[in-house]
Amino acid sequence: MIMVNEVTKAYEMGGNQVLALNNLTLRIDDGDFLAITGPSGSGKSTLLYTVGGLLTPTKGDVTVDDMSIYKLTSRERAKFRRENVGFIFQSFELLPYLTAFENVMIPLYLAGVSSIEQETAAQEALEKVGLASRAYHKPTELSGGEQQRVSIARGIVSNPTILLADEPTGNLDQKTGNEIMQLLCRLHAKDELTVIVVTHDAAIAERANRRVEMIDGRLVQERAI
Amino acid sequence: MRAATLVFRNLSRRKGRSILSSIGLILAIVLIVSVFTISRSMEVQIGDEVEKYGPNIVVTPKTESISVPYGSVVIGNVTIPESSVAKISTIPNKQNLRVVSPKLYGQAQYGNSSLLIVGMLPEKEIQLKKWWNITGSLPQNESSEVIIGSVVKSRLGLTAGSMIQIKNSTQNIVGILSETGSVDDYSIFMPLHVAQTILDLVDKVSIIDVGAICNNCPVEVISQQIMDAVPNVKATPIRQAVETRMKAVEQTASFSLLLASIILVVGCAGVMNTMLSSVHERIREIGVFMSLGADNNHLYKMFFLESMILGLASGVIGTVMGLISSMVFGPVFLEVPINLADIPIYPIPLAISLSVSASLIASLYPAWRASKIDPVKALKTV
Repeated sequence: MIMVNEVTKAYEMGGNQVLALNNLTLRIDDGDFLAITGPSGSGKSTLLYTVGGLLTPTKGDVTVDDMSIYKLTSRERAKFRRENVGFIFQSFELLPYLTAFENVMIPLYLAGVSSIEQETAAQEALEKVGLASRAYHKPTELSGGEQQRVSIARGIVSNPTILLADEPTGNLDQKTGNEIMQLLCRLHAKDELTVIVVTHDAAIAERANRRVEMIDGRLVQERAI
Repeated sequence: MRAATLVFRNLSRRKGRSILSSIGLILAIVLIVSVFTISRSMEVQIGDEVEKYGPNIVVTPKTESISVPYGSVVIGNVTIPESSVAKISTIPNKQNLRVVSPKLYGQAQYGNSSLLIVGMLPEKEIQLKKWWNITGSLPQNESSEVIIGSVVKSRLGLTAGSMIQIKNSTQNIVGILSETGSVDDYSIFMPLHVAQTILDLVDKVSIIDVGAICNNCPVEVISQQIMDAVPNVKATPIRQAVETRMKAVEQTASFSLLLASIILVVGCAGVMNTMLSSVHERIREIGVFMSLGADNNHLYKMFFLESMILGLASGVIGTVMGLISSMVFGPVFLEVPINLADIPIYPIPLAISLSVSASLIASLYPAWRASKIDPVKALKTV
């Protein structure tokens, strides 16, 4: 279970303090498929990265299975990310000089897994996202949808419990976006992942089983679908 | 996936930049290796020339009177006992003595000409005077065989095989000395003991030439030791010119190494600058790595490995280019023939290690900067 406890994230901007997250509290249960919606600048991505252990809050705390992740050292937090969190980005963020297969292996390399185990796990992850046949292509040789599938494979290759997706369909057409969402739903159902998707697309958010809306760093609406 | 794979792929993606960043480092290593190679070869060459110059020390009687000039050293008409030769071989630095060659000078009439007679030990003299080119053969010791200088040959119309009457003794000319441009061209060389008999100076010698075996022999010390061992002689070291040249080589090498150090610092600055811009260019990539679980150690490892590979490649390329350029330019511009067999091997690993270390030092700050990147800001960087 993920608990976001009265978290505030403040930025200095032009001498003024801006609250990206304003005393926000949110509980996310294991296996939830949560969609975070809201207009641009409402703090959706800030919340996502705070949950992922990438953004230290100005105030408040985030716990994952009762472990306060911001009380960990930065090294321990990196280990927490390696073992528990998978990230998916709007722009895919694949390394252009590596093949799809090698991109998927990166989290395992960072975790110190042996080359043979890396290869086996990467192969399995690519099969799960239906892209095994394109494993040895570089990102520039893949379509947007295929690149996002590689990004998802990279996100799940370490068998994390939490999958965080920041506008995963933002750079895709509607059809491909739907396919990606179907894939995320399937992975959520099959692997019992906790999935948190940031989106401003209501149709995409409809696919989640729980939806929260944010404005100005606060939760303004929450509903189960 | 290994760290090396990541680094190699990244470097090969940015070949131009990698090469540019290494140029300063390569130049510094080229300069260091060529300076070392050329100065080492110059030392060897000078060492060889020292041997060609003949004696390092000339031992003469302690006298003020002037009668016979021998090269730049003036020989008096007072002689030294031949037993002094054995005493010279007992000095503390005797291991540095390459050859000890006693000589007796005298004059004799031949027709209307006055000839300079030089008594010598042929096998010793030829060791000292490596530039001698004899048509014929050397005189046998204790024999009535002589060799004559080129001027004697032409003035007196003598050839190898001719007989020559000196005082009451008939000598057989067995060899003609090619022109040397020295007093040797005017001389008749014969075995020492034969000359002593002819000149009526048994067991006497005029001078003793001493050749030292090493490049950096303590010549002044050896000279003093000779004067201590043999009474009433003056031992004159004639190595000043060589030493001056050696010093010039050392000064040039020091200056070039100073220049190389400056280039090395500039090279390091180049590597640092390139790596800093690489950190800036790859800021999103660094953010992605961090989000996937990379900690500072992963980032340091990546940057250090990259700089090590750059340093290693620069070191190897610089060393090879340094050796090639010294072999090409040494003979052309400095008239120093480069023989790689004369060059010790240790500067090669030393130059490569220097390049790797310099590159690693240059990557410290960029790696630290990379580790301080805020991953979320990095991911939002356009």
